[in-house]
Amino acid sequence: MLRAATVILRKDLRLRLRDRSVLLFAFVVPLALTFVFSQLFPTQEDFELTAGVVDLDGGEVAAGFTDGVVPALVADGLVDATTFGDEAAARAALEDGEIAAAWILPPGLSDGVAAGDGGDILVLVNPDRALSVEVARGIAEGYRAELDRISLVVATTATAAQGALSTQQLEEIAGLAAAQAPTVTTTELIAADQQLDPTSYLAAGMAVFFLFFTVTFGITGFLEERQQGTLHRLLAAPIGIGTVHLGKAMGAFVLGIVSMTVLAIASATLLGASWGDPVGVAVLIVAGVISALGVMAFVGSFARTAEQAGNLQSIVALVFGLAGGVFFPVGAGFLGQLALFSPHGWFLRGLGDLVGSDHWTVVLPAAGALVAFGVVFAVPGALRMRRATA
Amino acid sequence: MSELLRCVGLERSFGELKAVQGVSLSVDVGETYGLLGPNGAGKTTCISMIAGLLEPDAGTVTVAGQRMGPRASAAKSEVGLVPQELAIYPDLSARENLDFFARLYGLVSGRRKQRVDEVLEVIGLTDRAGDRAGTYSGGMKRRLNIGIGMLHEPRLLILDEPTVGVDPQSRNAILESVETLATDGMGVLYTTHYMEEAERLCDRIGIIDQGTLVAEGSRRDLVGMIGEQDVVRLKTVGDVAAAEAACAVVDGVTSTDVEQDTVVCLVDEAAPRLPALLAAVGTTDADVSGVEVREPDLEDVFLHLTGKALRD
Repeated sequence: MLRAATVILRKDLRLRLRDRSVLLFAFVVPLALTFVFSQLFPTQEDFELTAGVVDLDGGEVAAGFTDGVVPALVADGLVDATTFGDEAAARAALEDGEIAAAWILPPGLSDGVAAGDGGDILVLVNPDRALSVEVARGIAEGYRAELDRISLVVATTATAAQGALSTQQLEEIAGLAAAQAPTVTTTELIAADQQLDPTSYLAAGMAVFFLFFTVTFGITGFLEERQQGTLHRLLAAPIGIGTVHLGKAMGAFVLGIVSMTVLAIASATLLGASWGDPVGVAVLIVAGVISALGVMAFVGSFARTAEQAGNLQSIVALVFGLAGGVFFPVGAGFLGQLALFSPHGWFLRGLGDLVGSDHWTVVLPAAGALVAFGVVFAVPGALRMRRATA
Repeated sequence: MSELLRCVGLERSFGELKAVQGVSLSVDVGETYGLLGPNGAGKTTCISMIAGLLEPDAGTVTVAGQRMGPRASAAKSEVGLVPQELAIYPDLSARENLDFFARLYGLVSGRRKQRVDEVLEVIGLTDRAGDRAGTYSGGMKRRLNIGIGMLHEPRLLILDEPTVGVDPQSRNAILESVETLATDGMGVLYTTHYMEEAERLCDRIGIIDQGTLVAEGSRRDLVGMIGEQDVVRLKTVGDVAAAEAACAVVDGVTSTDVEQDTVVCLVDEAAPRLPALLAAVGTTDADVSGVEVREPDLEDVFLHLTGKALRD
């Protein structure tokens, strides 16, 4: 069975190598898109947020932001900050395009924190500058978390002093706590909840996105055999339908593995992407290819022609890719939860875990999820195809 | 002669459609057996069961003593199939197509290359062996289609309407190839709806209609089933349908059919019936513009057995 399946595999690979579209989908397009997107989306090194700061509070806590956090970000080269006297001036600068975002520290911020009620920073944004918006929001969100911590410190101190401290003294404590607050780091801002740098994220995202197109050639190949009449000829030979399926699956598997491996090496050497420990990457690639095969076999089982299969598989690959966040990091919110329903999301999560760890075994949960995806879809897909061929 | 293929009581349905009903036939070593019937008669379904592509609902197929079925590798190795539709890879060359199927049938390296070269020679594609099959003419593709079927030297070669859509020159080449194979000792099962091909190639012929084998035998046996009848062909001008209806009720006429502007009548004896036939046509809006009387052929046998013509 394996000998005959290998014969089919070799023939398919020969045909696919003559079919330029496979080379495009498997290698050229993902690498080119990674390059283009990496130029469009700046990396941490060359990104700078032009932002305005409006201090309407004037207290110790606001000063912790204007004199502590912002200067630190300016020193890091991440933010180019301008101070405005009021909100209207900041809005005007925003509308003129002079700044991409503005932080408004509202009146009573310090009092609220001193009273143990926490506080918030208003963020004005230019929605056309998506990355700047995300970074400005991230900074505000990071400082808001600090304000909650400071409020907790103040409330605890006030409770311990049993009313012996004046409001001014509590504000001073809040100011001290604010001054000691750790600055908001740029890693948290740009990389959100994953550790892959933008180029590596894009390279991995594009690779796994196009993997789902690359393996479809195995499934559509089976339907092409049926359409061009060669399937009957194969089945008249001393082999079973299972051998034909195995040969096709092996072809798709080999193409997928080669495609992912080439993209990982090429993106690392040409674009400077960092995929992490090679063993962990290899495990994730194999698991990713298994998941792609299973999902696409299932989807392909609903098609009667290769064209139908190609269309259905493209839709599913696109939906899973978007849900999995192959084009942009999905963070930890609703989109992050949604990504768990996509093999693409698990693949990227696995790579993120790998980059942030010293040992390749951290990819095993993600790899397990990917294999589970493959098996759950492949079993009914194979049964459906078998029934359709009988 | 020893029996190579034996089919007993084959039946196969697709939903409500009974495609094949109780077909039994056999092919001996070195014999060419023709399965003759119009399109949709059940020929391809029979072939599919014999080649192991379809499991029969009932009945058995035995090839060289081995039971045939979708998982019967040993029996499948004894059979070469030439499907009705072209079954080649257009993006592979003739040599690559042949080499792929040779590997699939397990031909080992040296023997594989030898057989590929031999088959290329037989099908006349040696000079174009390295060109992509998609660039071949229709006849060349047909020849490659047949070459793949005979590549592994099967004991039984099944050809399912191999000359459909083929130019006369290529068609003649294909028929000559089949004649050669049979003289080399290969059993051939040949389906066609071209009566002249069956008459030229086949030692025995089975006539199939609506999934049932209605008659079987040599050409002489089958024509003998009609008895001492003659075929009268009346070429007409005018209402040919009315002319046929008038002829059908003439004494001694056993069956009639219309081919374009000609009424075809099967009659007990042509000479005494001819005046009555001409008179019958004269009562209609049609005129007779030509008369032909000849001995019956397989086409007429089919007409006699099924009441309809053997054509698309």
